[in-house]
Amino acid sequence: MKPALPETFAALSDPIRMAVIAMLSQEPRRAGELAASLDMSPAAMSRHLRILRRGGLVAEAGIAEDARVRIYHLRQAPFDQMHGWLEDVRRFWAGQLDSFKQHVEKKRRTK
Amino acid sequence: MRSKPFDSVRVTVTLRADPATAFSVFTWETDLWWRKGPKFRASGAHPGLLIFEPGVGGRLIETVDSPSGSRGVVTGEITAWDPPARFAFTWRPPNFAPADPSTIVEVSFDPVGSGTRVTLVHSGWSEVRDRHPVRHGLDGEAFVRMKGLWWVS
Repeated sequence: MKPALPETFAALSDPIRMAVIAMLSQEPRRAGELAASLDMSPAAMSRHLRILRRGGLVAEAGIAEDARVRIYHLRQAPFDQMHGWLEDVRRFWAGQLDSFKQHVEKKRRTK
Repeated sequence: MRSKPFDSVRVTVTLRADPATAFSVFTWETDLWWRKGPKFRASGAHPGLLIFEPGVGGRLIETVDSPSGSRGVVTGEITAWDPPARFAFTWRPPNFAPADPSTIVEVSFDPVGSGTRVTLVHSGWSEVRDRHPVRHGLDGEAFVRMKGLWWVS
């Protein structure tokens, strides 16, 4: 499933989840490790991880040695998509401000 | 300015005019500098007039004259009005779904030497969560394009 971009943004609109993303950007980690580092109960961390998974920002994988252990890692695609979208918005306004600047300065010269 | 870094866009430009002039031209002569065409205006190829109604509660409104008659398209409402330093307005183009909240655009005018630095911050994208049925069947990218910042149909 490819989540819609608004869900990606929404998944990030929380300081705990931003902290999880920051930790996972260093290396993949276990859910228990994330919960301990951020001083949270496993159940609370599990809820945050579920939202991040639905937003497509993280994925989990098992390890061969222990079926109970889930390792979380970041997915690159939604970050690229968000960046692309914000870049479109930035270009829109950059063009507007450039047009505004030209208009103001032309007006000033002809006064 | 309030805004979360991950879901906001900041653009600045420095120009040769004082803040009072810049503020006044930005808000009173909007139609003269706002770019034209379907990417930027609801009127697209039709004649239209785009204005800010000054003051808190005023609208960013475009009147569109087409063969089928004249109509007004409201994109936002002014939420802060502090000339010549800054103002802010909501941004909610017609292609947003009914349940979507607005995003917000803040514009500030700071003196730099004899000129002005204009800073525009557009934020609040994380609040826009579409639950509208129209989204079903579209992947994320197509949805984003459809939802778009502007009016391209």
